[in-house]
Amino acid sequence: MGVGGWIALGIVVLIILWAISVYNGLVSRRNQTQNAWSQIDVQLKRRHDLIPNLVQVVKDAMGYEQETLKAVIEARNRAVAAHGPAEASTAEAALTAATGKLFALMENYPTLKANENVMQLQEELTATENKISFARQFYNDSVMALNNAVQSFPGNLIAGQFGFTPGQFFDVPDTEKAVPQVKLR
Amino acid sequence: MADPPDGAGPEATGGPWRPASRPAHDAGSSTPGPWLAQGARPADAGSPATAGTTAASSRPTRSVSGGIGATDFFAAQRANRRQTIVLLATLTLIAAALGYLIGLYLDVQVGVSPVVGLASTSGVLGAIGIAAASGIWSGISLAWGDRMVLAMTGGHEVTKDEEQRLFNVVEEMAIAAGQPVPRVFVIEDAAMNAFATGTSSRNAAIGVTRGLLDGLNREELQGVIGHEMGHIANLDTRYMTVVGVTVGLIALISDMILRTMNWGSGRSRDRERGSGGGGAILVIVLVVFALLAPLAAKLVQFAVSRQREYLADATSVQFTRNSAGLISALQKLTQAAHPFPGVSRATQHLFIVNPLRQFGQKALALMATHPATEDRIARLTALGQL
Repeated sequence: MGVGGWIALGIVVLIILWAISVYNGLVSRRNQTQNAWSQIDVQLKRRHDLIPNLVQVVKDAMGYEQETLKAVIEARNRAVAAHGPAEASTAEAALTAATGKLFALMENYPTLKANENVMQLQEELTATENKISFARQFYNDSVMALNNAVQSFPGNLIAGQFGFTPGQFFDVPDTEKAVPQVKLR
Repeated sequence: MADPPDGAGPEATGGPWRPASRPAHDAGSSTPGPWLAQGARPADAGSPATAGTTAASSRPTRSVSGGIGATDFFAAQRANRRQTIVLLATLTLIAAALGYLIGLYLDVQVGVSPVVGLASTSGVLGAIGIAAASGIWSGISLAWGDRMVLAMTGGHEVTKDEEQRLFNVVEEMAIAAGQPVPRVFVIEDAAMNAFATGTSSRNAAIGVTRGLLDGLNREELQGVIGHEMGHIANLDTRYMTVVGVTVGLIALISDMILRTMNWGSGRSRDRERGSGGGGAILVIVLVVFALLAPLAAKLVQFAVSRQREYLADATSVQFTRNSAGLISALQKLTQAAHPFPGVSRATQHLFIVNPLRQFGQKALALMATHPATEDRIARLTALGQL
């Protein structure tokens, strides 16, 4: 084999190594995206678990608000039972509205605001809402990294070859932007 | 606190990436599919309503700014990484040059080879030797560094039951960073400060003072923890360990050279005369270099440290999508940053604001481990406005 042959072989080896590293990068990005998804799910479930506890704790003090409490629990149960994207979407929105109303009403009960247990639960729910948001944000970051890798040249040659498709961003439909205004202070 | 930003809020999460997202929508979805996406939406939309008293309510606002400026966090990170590489290379070069000069000097002393050109076996060996020494030393400090730091700062580890809010905020930032949740430490002192340590995301730890927990609201705490999580995500503690070790080594060797020169000056005079003027010049060069190298290395170390602080600030905003919390926290921290037990020259660079130094003194900017707080706030404000 002459010098030219060796050079050609070297180039081929380099291209194969490059293709392997691009492929592995795509796999790890796709896995990260999937993992980010499940993180959102974990936090949603946590939210569903926390709400009955809160209702249980405030139930006695808020004797005159049984309607609201019932609405919260029903909304929560619907969210847990929801199947499919459309149903889940509506159910979670309704749950948000119901808990929002509950938090607003709780402001009228100074004993509740001073209650250690209630404060802890409220902090937990707040943190869980934040975690859902941050998990979504991280998901979108991951999708962007995946999409950049899948769509930019020359990585897109490898991505197309092995069926990597861009991920879907997490947008919120306009209807959900109308969140009830709640004054807590 | 009402939640003004609902209109802009929910789109925020998707917002920052809007430019990239357009093609994505056309191209259809990949694995994760739409189910979770929609299932999770309402919860997100709900956060402002439930979290009126907390940082959550302000998140949507920041995303508005993030919508256009988001790409700039990544640009800032790239720029900072580049600069760090340049600075690290400079540092290694200083160390290697020092090693080379020593080898060259020894060669001349023994008379093995006269100073002709720059080729010197001992010189090259010296350069390699010092590089290897700093490598080994770095390895040792990387293996033990986090434990030493935690011991030196005098914090105690806390559980979620003990510090619910702090722990929650750390978990939130870990999720935003896509990192494992680090261990959490509290330093029982009224000073307001925070630090991060750990040489990988797996053995990372975040420490805060009691004064910080008492003095900051949830949004500000989130900004500070985001900054520390930024150090962890960017592997700053690892970089700074390596940089610190190299600087220490340069200082040590320079010190040794200067002592040897001083001590042996009388005896070496004869030999210098024998090796001609080259030897005398070499001695002068070596002494000057030994005097200047530690200073130069320190300047580089501090420059690296300042770059890392800027980067962590930018990363914090990337996580929280809110520069207001960190800005307000930095203002409070700078006023309340005073030394406490566990703070020393060895640990000062670890903290979010330097506990040993009063800021706003630009004259000393080159010798500072942290940028002036005004500069940090100015950059954060610029990020928010983009």
